[in-house]
Amino acid sequence: MISRTASAARAAVFVLLFSAAAAAALYPDRGRRPELLEPCDEHYDRGRRGQAAGCYRECIARSADPAAQAEAFWRLGDLKSANERFRAAVDAAPQDPDLRVRWGRLYVQSHQEGEAAKLFAEALEIDEHHVAAKLGAASVMARRFEGAALEKVNEALEAKPEQVEGYLLLARMALEEGDLEKAEKTLRTALEKVESLQASPLETYSLFASLDLLRQNPDSAWIDKALAHNPAFGKIYAEQAHFYVITRRYREAVERLRKAVALDPALWQAHAELGVNLMREGLEAEGRRHLEIAYGGDPYSAKTVNTLRLIDSFGDFVTLSNKDNAALLTEEELSASLTKPEILVKLHKDEAELLRPYVFELAERAVVEFSRKYDFTPKKPVHIELYPNHDDFAVRTMAMPGIGLLGVTFGYVVAMDSPSAREPGGFHWGTTLWHELAHVFTLEATEHLAPRWYSEGVSMYEEWQGDPRWGESIGPDFISAVSKEKLLPIAELDRGFIRPRFPGQVQISYMQAGLVCRFIAGQWGEGKLTALLRGFARNVSTPDNVEAVLGLQAEEFDSRFQRYLREFIGPALDGLKSWRGDMRKALEAARGKKWEAVIESALAAKETYPQYVGSGNPYVLLAEAYDRAARRGEAIEELLAYERRGGRSPEMLKKLGKWLEEAGRGAEAARVYDGILYNWPQDEEVHRRLGGLLYDKGDYRRAAREFHAVMALDPLNEADANYNLARTYDKMGDRPKARRHVLLALEQAPTFGPALKLLMEIRE
Amino acid sequence: MPRAACRRRFAAALPRLLAALALAAPPVAAETHFVIVEGLGGSRQYAREFREQVEDLRLAARKAVDDDTRVHVLAGREATGERLRETLAALAGDLSGGDALAVFLIGHGAHDGREYKMNVPGADFTGAQLKGWLDAVPAGQQLVVAATSSSGGAAETLNAERRIVITATKNGREKNAVVFGRYWAEALSAAEADTDKNETISALEAYRYAENKVKAHYKDAQRLATEHPRLEGDLAGSFVLARLGSAAQAAADPAKSALLAQREAIERKIDELRLRKDDLPEEPYLDALQDLLVELAAIQEKILGGRTPDDGGRP
Repeated sequence: MISRTASAARAAVFVLLFSAAAAAALYPDRGRRPELLEPCDEHYDRGRRGQAAGCYRECIARSADPAAQAEAFWRLGDLKSANERFRAAVDAAPQDPDLRVRWGRLYVQSHQEGEAAKLFAEALEIDEHHVAAKLGAASVMARRFEGAALEKVNEALEAKPEQVEGYLLLARMALEEGDLEKAEKTLRTALEKVESLQASPLETYSLFASLDLLRQNPDSAWIDKALAHNPAFGKIYAEQAHFYVITRRYREAVERLRKAVALDPALWQAHAELGVNLMREGLEAEGRRHLEIAYGGDPYSAKTVNTLRLIDSFGDFVTLSNKDNAALLTEEELSASLTKPEILVKLHKDEAELLRPYVFELAERAVVEFSRKYDFTPKKPVHIELYPNHDDFAVRTMAMPGIGLLGVTFGYVVAMDSPSAREPGGFHWGTTLWHELAHVFTLEATEHLAPRWYSEGVSMYEEWQGDPRWGESIGPDFISAVSKEKLLPIAELDRGFIRPRFPGQVQISYMQAGLVCRFIAGQWGEGKLTALLRGFARNVSTPDNVEAVLGLQAEEFDSRFQRYLREFIGPALDGLKSWRGDMRKALEAARGKKWEAVIESALAAKETYPQYVGSGNPYVLLAEAYDRAARRGEAIEELLAYERRGGRSPEMLKKLGKWLEEAGRGAEAARVYDGILYNWPQDEEVHRRLGGLLYDKGDYRRAAREFHAVMALDPLNEADANYNLARTYDKMGDRPKARRHVLLALEQAPTFGPALKLLMEIRE
Repeated sequence: MPRAACRRRFAAALPRLLAALALAAPPVAAETHFVIVEGLGGSRQYAREFREQVEDLRLAARKAVDDDTRVHVLAGREATGERLRETLAALAGDLSGGDALAVFLIGHGAHDGREYKMNVPGADFTGAQLKGWLDAVPAGQQLVVAATSSSGGAAETLNAERRIVITATKNGREKNAVVFGRYWAEALSAAEADTDKNETISALEAYRYAENKVKAHYKDAQRLATEHPRLEGDLAGSFVLARLGSAAQAAADPAKSALLAQREAIERKIDELRLRKDDLPEEPYLDALQDLLVELAAIQEKILGGRTPDDGGRP
């Protein structure tokens, strides 16, 4: 990264983005540039690279103006020198807002948006009406998909209508939100301004080409116009690829990016994007090659370096197939696997032995169920990757660490956190995997044309259907949004995911989309979800698809959905205040150990808002209160209700399992323990208890799976773990395995009575 | 389990095995004495917790030695440095090289960057003072367990030949109150801690159990661990701390001493075989192991008086 401080600048690393970067001089609204650069910019804009480079070098030699030198170095790709010259220019003229805006632009291009935002803010402190600074700030917000960008651009356009960039920013945001009509209208205005201001048309052409692409015409006539203006303008394809990427059409993005680098082989960032997207398609070798090319041209790009480092770490992972007999426990499993769809799972070596059977089992069930439900058979194996280090997952998905996502689907490739990447109870990997696998179907069956709301909605809905314990837990934020009428109409629901207007809108949109699908499935049958899928595969818009499939106009659908929601949420909709009051009373009573009072208030809270199972929920309080009041049976019922509602705390569920065991309800305890594994499979005791219960029930195959899990967790008591495996294999009639494990148990504990007895019975 | 994984686990168990083999003397010392010190709690909650831990340790120690006079508990106003010095001085006169001494410190400790101190009524005693008192006791096996904050700061000071030193923290800088003592006390009566199923709990087994529980404690609480237990000394595998089930009575039965000796001879052969495990293919290794175990099972049956091994584990 480049640095604003002189000392850090000496050791700085640099990020070169598009070598054919936007011609700032050709857009005066981006801040003033020295006039002597104009002839060079003209060569640059026309793609006459050699002449442009010579011209810029001459400027550097000829001019004593540090601002001109900075701009010239920037164009030559020497960002370090550009940064130093900008610093010198700002030191010499600290009250010049234009210089800070131009310097900020350099930071925008090197993906250091925080620094850029500071420089734009400084420029605005000097001149609060500075249009270029406002546009700079807006461009940073737009890159971060912040809703406030729109307001900032409109401010700038109001202050200065005769400009290009404001319109381009508006058009880009409209394209990202899928509002193609608005984008076209804005681009027409931008084009008029380009002509009247005699500015470079390349960026406008570029967005027109992207507009055509989103209208299913990727090989737009605007590309020909752009290439007639500048034959080396590979960026136009890279721009199109951006819109494919944000609509999750990675395969098509790869095709565009290949064209971009063919036209301009020095587009290092396009090589990096190509590498990342090839990897998303599971084409690791080719992806690596392009990332290495990108690294060769720009060794300091964080995105490139992070991804290459991740690829290097793949040596610590193993890729397993559900058709690989080494991964299967019995002959029956091997035989059954022949008819199953192939699933490949990439796991870290340290946890492969533990996670493998659970991931395979859940993934197989999901793929079989979704194939049937959505009438789509995967055309190639589904590839699932689990990362124990969250930052590795983040790099795999966005090429940068620090994102808050749990899982991402790129067509047939699903990448997600492994359960060990998070704290116990903080991450339910089972629902995450199920959710992501539903995306495989909604994306691939529509060739990635499904709108975001539909794909997320189906994934949420399927998450709730996947297991009775994974029920929808509706948070207070969603209820509050419904109550304040902050939900978006179905036709605009994608906006809530792409450019949220208020904090939490993305999460609210997820829940809304899921409930929309739940509403459709409940009112018209699940088949209508599949019918919508078919419509989206033909690129039918949401309103048209809703009308064709459900026989309703989108507005009518919205009002019926509102009525459904009110009914579905029930008393909580108007009762959040009283719920909070009751919970406060219950918690205070719990602190004072007044269990009867806890019960009274927590019951009232539960009555108002039974869907809430998050932190500080009434079920857990009630369970504790009942237990303290020697009413264990009622305590158990509360925790069972908590589990049914989607309560996921491993600690509480483990307590429930033990209580059920103590109450002689072994089968229910086994079911509860089994549920914990999809949240926190690292708990040795849960596997041990579950294995014991399954063994007692005669379910030896699953008992063996649990005892193997105990072994994979490197238990304190290996002798017990091996003995459990031995007696299980003995019951399964597998004497060689039984003998091996009993000997391993006795190797640790030679006088272990039950193991010695078993050895004497089964020895050869 | 794949062969490679099997070897990995075995390698992890090697230090214990080597420690056991290095011990030529019988595994149980002629006479073991326990000294348990309950430090100041500082608050009602800690005082109650320390009292409970000391009580658990006292019961486990009594069960291990079956003799109240060999369990010395210094609690409340009695738990001064001076009383500890006197107790150890008295034991210095009574014990000989064949005996064993275990000292458990339960409470809070501190480290000022130079030396460790345990918080007790009256003047705190230092790690160096404790070392001096212990050095004067001729017991051939010694175990010191400092289950206090900052106790790791005393590990080097207390170190001595044939002395096992266990501390709740890695160094003197881990100053927060510790939970190690809670799990150490629990280990002495937990069947789960008896990983080799011989119905006795060694210092090593108890340490591993407590260490495991401490890790789980912080993980479950989603807190950064503020204590990292530490064990110094090679003899922890052979220091018997507690006996479970019928082991205590059977060990004292002179009629079975010949059989017990035979069994120990086979166990030594098994240990030797385990040391060669990495050099042997798996099947021949398992065959050889099985032969020894079948022999051991027959002796075990005689020790149990005709009952099958399943009935009684190991006396």
